[in-house]
Formats: sequence, C-alpha cells, structure tokens
Amino acid sequence: MKAQRLLLPVLLGSIVSAIYAPRPARAAAEPDPKEAEYYKITTFPTPPGTALEVSSVEFLPDGRVAMGTRRGEVWIASNAQNATTPGAWNKDTMIFEGDQAAPENSHIRYQRFAEGQHEILGLAWKDGWLYATNRYEVLRMKSQSGSGKADRFETVCDKWGVSGDYHEYSFGSRFDKNGDLWVLCCLTGSFSSKTPFRGWALRVKPDGTMVPTCSGVRSPGGVGFDAEGEVYYTDNQGPWHGACTLQHLVPGSFQGHPGGNMWYDLAPNMGPRPQDPMDKSRMVTERAKIKELVPPAVYMVYGPGKIGNSSTAIILDESEGKFGPFQKQIFIPDQSHSNVSRVFLETVNGVKQGVVFPFLTGLRSGPIGARMGKDGKFFVGGSDRGWGAKGGQPFAFERIDWTGKVPFEVHEMRAKPDGFELTFTEPVDPATAGNPASYSAREFTYIYQEKYGSPEVDDVLPKIEKAVVAGDGKSVRLHFDVLTKGHVHELHLDGVRSAKGASVLHPLAYYTLNEIPVK
Amino acid sequence: MNSLRPLLLSGFLAASAPALLAQEPVQINLKTLTAQMKFDLSELVVSPGTKVKLVFENPDDMPHNVVFCQPGTNVEQLVMKMLEKPEEALKNNFLPNDPKVWLKSRLLNPHEKQEIEFTAPEKPGNYPYVCSFPGHAASMQGVLRVLGEGPKLENLKFALYHGSWKSLPDFTALTPHRTGDVPDNLVQLNFDDYKNQYGLVFTGTIKIPSNGEYTFYSASDDGCRITVGDEQVHKHDGIHPAEIKESKKKLKKGEYPVRIEYFQAEGGAALYVGWKGEHFDTTALSKWTPENWKKGVQQKTNEFVGLPLEPKGAPTIYRNFIAGAGNRSIGVGFEGGMNYAWSAETMNFTMAWRGAFMDAARHWRNRGGGHQPPAGFDVVRPTDLVPPLAVLENQESVWPTFTPDQPLEGYAWKGYDLDQNGVPTFHYTWKGVQVDEKIESTGDFKKGGSLVRTLTLKGQLPAKSFLLLSQKAKLTSTKEGYAVQGEKLNLNGTNYENQILIKAPGATVSGSSLLVPATEKIQISYTWPEMHPANHATHTAQ
Repeated sequence: MKAQRLLLPVLLGSIVSAIYAPRPARAAAEPDPKEAEYYKITTFPTPPGTALEVSSVEFLPDGRVAMGTRRGEVWIASNAQNATTPGAWNKDTMIFEGDQAAPENSHIRYQRFAEGQHEILGLAWKDGWLYATNRYEVLRMKSQSGSGKADRFETVCDKWGVSGDYHEYSFGSRFDKNGDLWVLCCLTGSFSSKTPFRGWALRVKPDGTMVPTCSGVRSPGGVGFDAEGEVYYTDNQGPWHGACTLQHLVPGSFQGHPGGNMWYDLAPNMGPRPQDPMDKSRMVTERAKIKELVPPAVYMVYGPGKIGNSSTAIILDESEGKFGPFQKQIFIPDQSHSNVSRVFLETVNGVKQGVVFPFLTGLRSGPIGARMGKDGKFFVGGSDRGWGAKGGQPFAFERIDWTGKVPFEVHEMRAKPDGFELTFTEPVDPATAGNPASYSAREFTYIYQEKYGSPEVDDVLPKIEKAVVAGDGKSVRLHFDVLTKGHVHELHLDGVRSAKGASVLHPLAYYTLNEIPVK
Repeated sequence: MNSLRPLLLSGFLAASAPALLAQEPVQINLKTLTAQMKFDLSELVVSPGTKVKLVFENPDDMPHNVVFCQPGTNVEQLVMKMLEKPEEALKNNFLPNDPKVWLKSRLLNPHEKQEIEFTAPEKPGNYPYVCSFPGHAASMQGVLRVLGEGPKLENLKFALYHGSWKSLPDFTALTPHRTGDVPDNLVQLNFDDYKNQYGLVFTGTIKIPSNGEYTFYSASDDGCRITVGDEQVHKHDGIHPAEIKESKKKLKKGEYPVRIEYFQAEGGAALYVGWKGEHFDTTALSKWTPENWKKGVQQKTNEFVGLPLEPKGAPTIYRNFIAGAGNRSIGVGFEGGMNYAWSAETMNFTMAWRGAFMDAARHWRNRGGGHQPPAGFDVVRPTDLVPPLAVLENQESVWPTFTPDQPLEGYAWKGYDLDQNGVPTFHYTWKGVQVDEKIESTGDFKKGGSLVRTLTLKGQLPAKSFLLLSQKAKLTSTKEGYAVQGEKLNLNGTNYENQILIKAPGATVSGSSLLVPATEKIQISYTWPEMHPANHATHTAQ
C-alpha cells in the first residue's frame, strides 16, 4: 500500500491499540474556525459519576433542559441557555473539567430526576408529566412528593415487542399537532422483525392506545416535525437503504424496508400488506408499482466528506431568526461524523423532497438527542457507544449559538421544470453567480436492494446551460440540460462569490428529486 | 461500522506477553470479584515450562483461595471429597491435600494479596483451577491452558510472478517468473530484489492434528489468500496496509496441501501468516511477524465484567435485559446485597439473588443488547416466567403460561411508585383487580436477611384465585416455612441450586407447586438457607 508505507508501524500500533485499549485514543474533532465565525459550540462539563450519553432532549416549561440518556437516566440542566463555561478537555484524566474560577452565573448545573429506565430515546413534556420512550414502552413520570426526583412512573403504552436484540431501539417523538406521540421501532437486526411492530412507526394516542401508522422502517435515528407539523424520521444506511435518509411519515405508508411487513396481520387499520419491492431495483421504479411506498424526502448522502453515516435527530428552527437566517428549516446531526447538516424541504406533486447542505462540524461526541428552543439555543448531546464518532469523546452535551454574523450560504434550493432556483443568504456577485462555469453538477441514485447499502449508481453529468441572477440580487435560476426523476442532484458552487467577495461557506448541495415540477 | 470490542481487564496485557521470550517470569494477575463468587478470569494461557509470577488478589469480603489441579480433575468433586473430613479440612484452611493438586495459594482473607512463582507444566493441556473454600467451587473456577506451538508448514515451495494487480489474480492462468524451494518452510517475501508489482504463491503441506475449529491469521500488504485442501480458509484481498485479520474454519484431521497466495502492488510490502487451534497456541507460519501478533489470542476473560452497579442508600433500579427474567425485567438491588428482578411482562416477581447486584457493562459499554445474568450468587427462580395470579377450578388445573410478546390475558402493566426510601411498588391490574406489589429487604445478605413481598389486591377477586409461589419443586414443610428445592437454574452457563425458604401464611402444596389463596393482602418472605456452617467457623477463627 503506497501512501501509508511510512506509517505502517504507527498504523499497526494504532490498530492493536484500537482493538485492545480500553478507550481508543482518537484525535478529537476540532470546530472549523471558518464555521465558528458564525456558529459557536459550547461544550459543557458533565456531571461526575455518570456517562451523560444524551439520547433525547426536552424543555421544561421553566426553560430547564431535560435529557434522557442511553443509561436510562433523566438529568435536568439549569442555566444551560446562559452558561458560558465551556469546560476543558483534560487529556490526562480524559474527562471534562469546568472552569471553577469562572463566575457562578456562568455555570451549568445538573440534577438527576430519574434513573433505572431502559434507554430513553424520546422525551416529551405535557401537563406536569415528563413522557419517556424506553425500549418497550412509553411511560410518564413526575415528582409526586415534590422532592425534585421522579417517584411516580406510569405506563402509557407497552403494546410493541422487544426481544433482547441490541438493534431494537425505540425512538419517541414529542407531541404532534394532534396530541399524539410517535414511536419509531427499529427492526430486530438489519433484516428482520422478530417481535410485533419492529420496523414500524406507531402513534400513541392520549388515552394510551396504539395505532400502527407506517411500515417499512429499518433503523431510525430520530423523529421530528417540519414547520407545518408533518412528521419525519431519519433512517440509516443498510438493507433497502442505499444511504441515510430523511423520510416523511405519511399515515398508511410503506417506508421502504419490507422486513417488518408481517405485522400487517396485527394492523387491520393499515389495509392489506403491500407488495414487496423487487431486489436490485430503483426507488423511482418501485414507487411506480407500490402505491404505499413513500420515497425518502432527502438522501443524507453517505460517505466521508459528504453528509453522513448515521443521521439522528430532526431539529426544526422555530427561532424566527434567533438562530440565523434558516428559520423553518431542519437540522439533522450525524452520530458518526459528529456534524450537523441543514435541510430545506418543499412539496412537489404532493411528495416531500428537498436538499441537504453541510452546516457545522466539530461536535465532541456522536450526537443523538437534540432540541432547539424558540430562543435559538440549539442543544445537542450524544454518545459514541457502539459505532464510534469522529468527535472522539464517549459522550457530550453541547450548545450551538449563532454569533449574529450571517454566513454566505445557499438559503433555499427549489426544483424547477428544467433546473433549480437557488436563493442565497446574502446578495451575490452577479458576474460569478451568473456564470454557469461557477457551478458543477452530477446526478446519481442508489440501488434499492436487500443487500446492505449501495454505491452511487446511474451517473448523469448534466450541463448547466444558463445561470440567471434575479433582479433581487439574492437568487439564481440554474437551467440544466437534463434532470433525472428519482436521482440525487449534487451541486457544487465553488466559483460563486457574494457581492462582498466571499465564497459560499458550504458550496455543496444534494437535492433529492423525487418529482420534477411542471412549472 | 464495527462493533466495539468488549473492554478487557487490566491484568490482560501483562499476562499475555510472549512467554517464550521472557527470561523474567510472566506475570498473571488473578482476582476474585466482590460479592460475585467468581474469579475475574475464567481462562489463563501460558506456554509450556514458562516461569510465571501469579499475583492473586482477594478484594472480596469473604475468604478465597485458588487451587490448580491436573487435567481432567473434577474440581467440585475434589472439594466435596475434602469436606468429607470437615475437621481436617478446617485445620488445613480448606486447602485440599490431594495428589491432583499441583499448586495452591494460601486461604486469603478479605482484601489480602499473595504472589506465587511457579513453572508452568511442560505437558500441554487444560489445568482447572478452583476456589476450594466450601460452597464456592460451583462458580469460582477456571482453566489454565498450557499451549504449545502448532504444526508448521512442510515441503514449502514458492512461485514468483510479475504483474500489476489491484486484487489477487488467477495465478493458475499465469506463468511464474521463477520457482524454487523454501528451505526453512517459512512464508517470506525477499526471494529477489523486486519491490513492486509482483506476486507469490507458496505451496506445501500442513498436518491438521485433530478435527476442530482453527483460526487463521494474516497481516499482509497487499492482498493474500490461504487455501487448505480445496477450501479457502482465509482471505484479505485488495490493496491495504498489513493489519492483523483473522478467520475461523472447521477442519478435519489429516495432512493437506496448502496454498498461500500474495501480491504486492506498490510501496510497503509485508506478509505474516499464522494459525491457532484448540490444542495449540498461535503459531507463525511466516518469517516476519507483526508487533503484538500473539496479543488478544492468549487469554479469555469474563467478557463483560466491569461496570458493577453498587446500591448505596436507596435501592438501585435497573430496567434492562436480565438473563432468566424475560425481556422487560426490572432489577432492584438493595444496599445489603439482597436483589430481585420483577417482570413487566409477566407482572411477576421472577428471580432473587444475593451478593453483587448487576454488572451493567454488557448494556452500557456496547450497543445494549443481550441478557446479562445477575452479578451475585444463590440465584433463585421459584417459578417459570408465568403470571402470578390465576383462577384454579380444581387440583388438576394447569397454571397459565406466558409467551413473550403475546398479550398476557387479563393483565395490564400500570407502572410503579417509589417511596421516600426509593423502594418501588409495582402496579398492575388483573381481571379488574388493582394489584400493588412491594418487595422489601430486611437487612444484610451475610446475616441471613430476607426479601419480604407484600401484595395488596383491591377489587372484586374471582373465586378460587391463587397466587403461585413456586413450581416444579421439591417442597419440605419446616417450622420456618417451606423449603423449596426448585429445578436447577442455568443462566448463561452457570448453574444455581435454586433453593429458598418461603414463608407465606395460608400457603398450600398442590403437587409440586406452592400456592397461596389470593386475598386482599398477601405477605411472603424469601430466605436463603444458611451459608455452610464451615463458613461461620472460619469467620470465627479469624
């Protein structure tokens, strides 16, 4: 192996230590200084004596931040919105240490509210109760005695199965616009469903009844809403999933992985079991045959330097500008890349589709649970357990703040009959933005197959014939010689400059074109 | 994405240093696990005749020893034989004077440590070790494996090819540039000065000593493949640095032709090939070996021991997959070392045990799957995983069963409360009856503590309703209650006696079951039989 010849002894050493050392020493990811000008990451110290593997985040009415963890605890953090103490990564002790010299009002404080639960992958607050989704039930908890520690744990719904397989995670949502909770049940392993409703999206009504709502789920990483309250989940690369995806949970739909479809027998409300997809096909082909099949709204394009390997939470920006110019857009962290991507969605011919852009790198662990407040404070926590994360730390709790400076980015990207319309966060330089040579594009898709993952296939290299800058100076209409229905349209904007001469901070976009609009 | 390997214990690296090279004795660290009746290592591996320094440490609150025996010794029988003469055994601190024993420690008091130097037996084999203190042998044992080297390649020849490849070509379709013998029978690269763009095919024979599973290793830069007989046993093709890779194959005894194929594209070039069998240690078949090539194959540990949950003050609650207690179990551990598991799928008290509570490492250091048995000892499961309450029309009525993920007819799980001491009360309904169940600990497990289970039933109880206390057991009525000898319980390979004393006013025997009529309030206490009297004797002697 050529490039790594000199590294061989080092490499061997690191392989051995990666396998045998109790905790592999990794180079921790550092925040990108260019991104840090616009978005700042504050990494909090975590409470001693536990692993704060944040797997769900919810706000309490008084603004405190509740966190459910993979170890089944609920921690409540006070002053998390204002705490400025970043804490320091002590390389000797391998723990975070808060800056004790900092003023008291800059500290975050933690209180353990509950413990002993079975991996909390969803938290939601309602009427004095904290609802939690563990591996096999939704329960709700409160402090009845007023001690500040939960002492009442009520079962809300326990009607789906669990077998002991690690893969059978259950992700819970917050309350949707109808007052229901959604539970996304991971399959048993990658291929099959050994126990009821593994591989399904379920709704839990306020009275605790369970409504099987969508089939075809593989391995969810999070569940959340768009600005209209539509429900989405993220799924992960694997069988029937060429890449990680953001999927629209249309009630009654089939989401693409047939491994759990035997449970249609237990879900008469869902109608007959849909036809199984054909192996080694394409999503666009199978969609035409299987009416229940909803294509992924956005492919979170897989691979290093791309979007992600393990998409997790779905975070809606409801801050009305307090988190910068991306209000109503969706942010999706990635557990293995320790990054956050940004998604803009639209509806074309009744189908959700949209674009994903890189947004922010340099989180310290593998983000899983996250929430953004209406104040624009974006909290994210996670763990690297089981899969590893670029961030390098076993667990972390962090806050992302907008610095107030607007980055030069593509703001929105909309499909048009013969191309795309881009809007930017800042006025563009008409010369570069209006020059087709400032852009390059590629169209590809994935094999829709039972085998794990897929390479990018069916490449089309379109020609960008025209780039027309609109009169407002902030949007550009791109005319392609060809658009391909069902393909991911990858766009690079390396040559585009803002009116002030800045390059695009993240000059890369992946638009999933499920439908081509007629106008 | 790769799963993370389980963490290994600190003793591991020291013990696995290549024994043959060491003039200094090889150090092996062996510990007892606190309140678990286990050694931390269930397998130690050394090369024949190695000088060993055994550092034996007892952090437990009970006395323990370690006694090494000849291969084939039934260590539990050995201890039983010693106890046939209890006075002599006590005088010898429960260290057996038996010809089958070739090495023993002192009886270590709690928190003592001893260093023992010895020379490993010359004869390869499995030498069992055990704690011979009364009552400990069933779970406190392990095996010292003395492993020699395995067979090497014979009649080795090489064929050198030229070509530029990105993966292994079909060498049979190519003409070799040069062929020859390999006198030392070791796979190696430097037959010529070629640095880049060449391939090598080694052919020879190997003796498979017995039917069984063999592990083949390579570290090759770039691709390689090993074929034994007609079977490919190992492959790591493509262009890559020399990482240690392994693969396992079941093979039948006999002498087989071997073929090792390798290619080098550009840059670094290296080839290590090795193998390991059930009866021999990792053996290199190549001239070059990577650093640490023997590591990780020398010593097996109790895989997931290492994240003990230690109840302090309020009981510790652990909702997770507990072996023997179903998929929705709620483990509860009290500070005094009394523990139980309650099931939110059968709505029943399922298991109880003493000593350490749970080890969370399996669930909290990995992806969270699999069932973890209790960390302590004296595990009892008085009934199968069945619902607690039923209506029995007559003596012949069969107790209802439970199938995972099938609705448990008539029952609904409602959750639990914690009292001011953190002790849970579980709630469920059965046929319209509200059932509250609280289980409390009466004290320390070392002082004969009990678990007391109180059920409060509110609502109209159906006639002939019973609560099941034990099943499939030998029941003996004593003045303290019923001595229940259930079927032996096996959890992940460890056998438990499944004996408990159950006291419940109004309890009746029905065949091999112990039942109590369901009333508004039912109270049951569970007490383990006294520890072996010799135990107390030793405690007094200290």
